[in-house]
Amino acid sequence: MKDRNPKPDDLKASVEAIETVPERKDEKTGRKTPGEMEVVVRMTNDADRALHYISDVRATRYDPSTKTLVVALSDEGREVIPGAIMKLPVFRRIDPRSTAEIRLRVPDRIIKLSRSAPPGELAFETHQLSDAQEVVVEVAWADVPYYKDTRAKADDKRLPAARWEQHKARTKKAIKGGRKPKS
Amino acid sequence: MPLFILEDATGIGNDQIDTFQAFIDCVIIANDDGVGIDDPAGGRQLVTYTRTQNGPPQLRLDDLVNTTFTPDYGSGPQQVDIVVIPGLSGFTLDDGTSFQNNGTALPPNSSGLGGSSLNTTEFCLVIYDTQQNICVARDGTGGDIDLGISNPVVLYHEFSHAFRIVTNALLALTAECDPASPEENAAIVDENDLRTQIANRQGETPELRDPNIHCGQVGCDGGCCIIATVASKSLNSKQIHFLRSVRDHFVRSTEVGYAFFQKFFYDYYSFSPQVCTIMAGNPGIPEHLLEGYINPLLDFWRVMIERSGNNFTDAELGAAFARLHSDRDAARARLAALQRTVAYWLQDESAGSDAPPELIKLLRERAWPSEYMQWALVAPVRIYHEMLTLYLAGADEIKLGRSFNEELDAWSPEMPISDVWAALAADEVVKELEFCENVLLQSATSKKRFHQRLLDRFRDITAIDVVVNGLAVNTGVVQ
Repeated sequence: MKDRNPKPDDLKASVEAIETVPERKDEKTGRKTPGEMEVVVRMTNDADRALHYISDVRATRYDPSTKTLVVALSDEGREVIPGAIMKLPVFRRIDPRSTAEIRLRVPDRIIKLSRSAPPGELAFETHQLSDAQEVVVEVAWADVPYYKDTRAKADDKRLPAARWEQHKARTKKAIKGGRKPKS
Repeated sequence: MPLFILEDATGIGNDQIDTFQAFIDCVIIANDDGVGIDDPAGGRQLVTYTRTQNGPPQLRLDDLVNTTFTPDYGSGPQQVDIVVIPGLSGFTLDDGTSFQNNGTALPPNSSGLGGSSLNTTEFCLVIYDTQQNICVARDGTGGDIDLGISNPVVLYHEFSHAFRIVTNALLALTAECDPASPEENAAIVDENDLRTQIANRQGETPELRDPNIHCGQVGCDGGCCIIATVASKSLNSKQIHFLRSVRDHFVRSTEVGYAFFQKFFYDYYSFSPQVCTIMAGNPGIPEHLLEGYINPLLDFWRVMIERSGNNFTDAELGAAFARLHSDRDAARARLAALQRTVAYWLQDESAGSDAPPELIKLLRERAWPSEYMQWALVAPVRIYHEMLTLYLAGADEIKLGRSFNEELDAWSPEMPISDVWAALAADEVVKELEFCENVLLQSATSKKRFHQRLLDRFRDITAIDVVVNGLAVNTGVVQ
């Protein structure tokens, strides 16, 4: 019998474009929409069955030593913490032998708590993503739609979508000569 | 005296931090002038509070501001101060989680509590986005996520977590948001105390959050709605109920419709609240708008809903329009109102227009350039105006319906196309197209035009290519 299990590389992602979206300010209300980076990602399903993936940004990580930005469409590695709301991922399905396209937006800078500050001092690190020389996009996917894992144990602190995902489609794109502004 | 608001910090500077907003949010929580803030010291400003009221929010704030907390997380008592970090755009935790449109309370690093590994300090950090646009589950609706949350309420929610962190009484946190974890349930119960108190202060009925659902999303349909303001100044008017039912059961039930309304509302609320403000100082504007714009718009969509699924002949469509205007005197009054409104917006001096220039400027800059506003709010009223003119000129139902269908054939396929089409699977494209064709694109001409626009935009997207070209083969709609 033919093995119908999808292979880890059956869902492919490729970065089609990276554009900058400048900061916007509503003159009347003063409300600001911070500057953003828009990443256009093309998804390709080589499998003979539909695949299911997360289509919104769940985490952004920047490594200043390698100037690499990781845009993660995955909850793997994220912790459960107190918060105003819990935002569930947006899931999408892609048909067998098909392509699709998603647009992702991330803030154009990352501010993190500094781990190199003296003990007791509250300090931050700011990273401008315009400095990034490489963008990596990771897309969590599975061959079945997302479902709640009712077997989850109380000490399993993984977020539900992290328990669901089977593979990640991973792509990277070097940025040369800066990003073009979004028209 | 352990509650501080961050004012400056190594690595960011003070222009990134909205200290004033956090102070104002504390004042709103306290609802009196007993809240103060000391001069900056070490990049932080100490909050002070002399309480004069005895409600739950005031008692909680009093505790947080005037108690020195020394929890024992397992290695002996330690003093834990709370530092509020407001409005840090782009703030991201080590695990990559962004706090745009969210808030959190992080326990001290050494506490071992949930989230402590993401905190590099021994403070309890309260972090929240002061530009947030969060939407949460409304109590009593079974989970409808359509309730906004103001900055003071977000801050108070996080204060609830912070209180249990600094008293080492944090409840269980689970990875699920429905049902909410015990910790989030407790924070939402506290949040509702403040919601209730704020509503009571304003003489309004409290709108509460469902304590059993912690799931939320970005964006509610917030802000002042022009249509609601004009139509009897009530969000419960029959006009608003009609538009809500169109939105929620007719359009938003599909992926494409939902995406359409997301864009539509983004554009709409870029000008609607300011128009409300202008209308408040110009009582003549709502009079112009109700009969000269709002009711014609609603009648247009009433006919469209009646038409959907019925594939009307010209005579049937004409009859549907005529039925709405059987009172010809009222129809003539409506036409006069439409003409006055056109003159009003065009600033026709000969018509004695008194439209405020700031209103005209606002609409020209924000509303007119939006393809969503043009397609959904401007063109329908123009079509309606033409049909009413024709009807009152004596056109019979067949002639009226033929003209109406011709206008709809030209208008409907120009519906703005959102990016969501490119992310749909083939069967979803089929379903969405069926809906569009059932509701809007009833003629072969309009179908053909819309299919071509989809292909032009997404020709290399498999699902679009397969479905639309497949339809072309099967139906001959696309050549």
